[in-house]
Amino acid sequence: MANPDPTVAERVERPAEPPPTGEPAPPLTFEVKNLSIWYGEKRAISDATLDVASNAVTAIIGPSGCGKSTFIRCLNRMHELVPKTRIEGSVLLHGEDLYSNIVDPAIVRRRVGMVFQKSNPFPTMSIGENVVIGLRLNGVRNQKFLNERLEKSLRMSALWDEVKDDLHKPGTSLSGGQQQRLCIARALAVQPEVLLMDEPCSALDPIATAKIEELIYELKTQYTIVTVTHNMQQAGRISDYTAFFYLGRLIEFGPTTKIFTNPSERQTEDYITGRFG
Amino acid sequence: MSPHKHILGTFDEALASLRNNVLMMSSLTERSLERAMKGLFDRDDDLCANAIADDEEIDQLEMQIDKDGVAILLRFQPVASDLRRVVAAMKLSSNLERMADQATTIARRARKLNQHPPLAEVELIRPLYEQAMSMFKDSIDAFVREDVALGRAVVTHDEKLDELNRVASDKLVARMAKDPDQLRGYLNLIFIGRCLERVGDHATNIAEDAVYAAAAEDIRHQAVAASS
Repeated sequence: MANPDPTVAERVERPAEPPPTGEPAPPLTFEVKNLSIWYGEKRAISDATLDVASNAVTAIIGPSGCGKSTFIRCLNRMHELVPKTRIEGSVLLHGEDLYSNIVDPAIVRRRVGMVFQKSNPFPTMSIGENVVIGLRLNGVRNQKFLNERLEKSLRMSALWDEVKDDLHKPGTSLSGGQQQRLCIARALAVQPEVLLMDEPCSALDPIATAKIEELIYELKTQYTIVTVTHNMQQAGRISDYTAFFYLGRLIEFGPTTKIFTNPSERQTEDYITGRFG
Repeated sequence: MSPHKHILGTFDEALASLRNNVLMMSSLTERSLERAMKGLFDRDDDLCANAIADDEEIDQLEMQIDKDGVAILLRFQPVASDLRRVVAAMKLSSNLERMADQATTIARRARKLNQHPPLAEVELIRPLYEQAMSMFKDSIDAFVREDVALGRAVVTHDEKLDELNRVASDKLVARMAKDPDQLRGYLNLIFIGRCLERVGDHATNIAEDAVYAAAAEDIRHQAVAASS
């Protein structure tokens, strides 16, 4: 029932939700149009078209081998590291074609950071070195600047308080969850526009997972996040939009609340309710 | 709604068990209402006592459905149509329990009426009873068959039941003025009419939940929203 007292309504804090139908469209970070990707003869993605909203979390779900990882890797051209890849269609980042001949893939990967399923801190580097390595490789030598960015990145990844006295220790001395947050800090240090996450919690315990999820929720105020997950409940908790892929095709894409309460496609319903097989 | 089974067979079994308990509860509630009203019309105290006794089993089923629903939410974390079915089942059980409470109230008042000479005005209640039971059965049918159109139809019938209750109450109030000796009896009939009107409200709630379960559409309070 509508609340007649606006002062009561004002006091109620509500989490951000995608605007309902009819509202102005949110600003977009990615516009993916008719995207197809081949690995040699194998077509991994078929004609996918979707828009990724800015300052929101977009979850990519689907069974193993459906093209989820390929899809997010093509958002920073990382799939090109696999030989014999071919792409059709376009991926625009803030309106700019990522696959234009004049675009340097290394610059794309700086603008679009990535965190992987298994935390992968550089084993020979300290915690502090792990965070700023991206800046160093980009030629930054100013120690004061590096120290500032180190602290800022670790604070943003909610790791500062836990490691501030141990910055010289090896990155691999941290727990699995801390290592994953260290990798997020490393990705954030170069100040990307987007953070891609490929099953960032699949190797973590529930407490470490909760910390990463909380971090994702906080980071989306400043970053656009696209995450792959096999965990339906996690997708429901952390994402604003969900895309369901099956056999390389984008079957359904929409607000997460809609996908998880009333999906439009039978295949989506069967997958998320556990009727696939 | 998907025709496929879940990969987890225990999930299908848990959902089927929840649904069966809701259907059992609705059958018992229907029987309890029929016994209470037959006890009124036929002046049968035994039927009234049976209606009152039914309530305990219905209360137990309500608690079982809540317990099973929470267990399903916890164990299987359902989404989409599964989630809607579980939520609807739990809400249905709450409405059915309240309907059964109305049956108990009707039976208690019928027993009081049965202690006095019969009142011809008891027939004023029959149209309300027929309308309320029709809404009740249709609402359960809408849930069972996932029939959105039938669910919507039940909601539109509630106003008719309210009107029938108003007409019956007005006539009974008029009778009170003419025949104050029977004041207590007429008051009991007014209260029974009120109980049936409440049964219609619960049937409306069930129909709304049936529409939500079948089509993920929230049709509650639409008249209020349209008028504001």
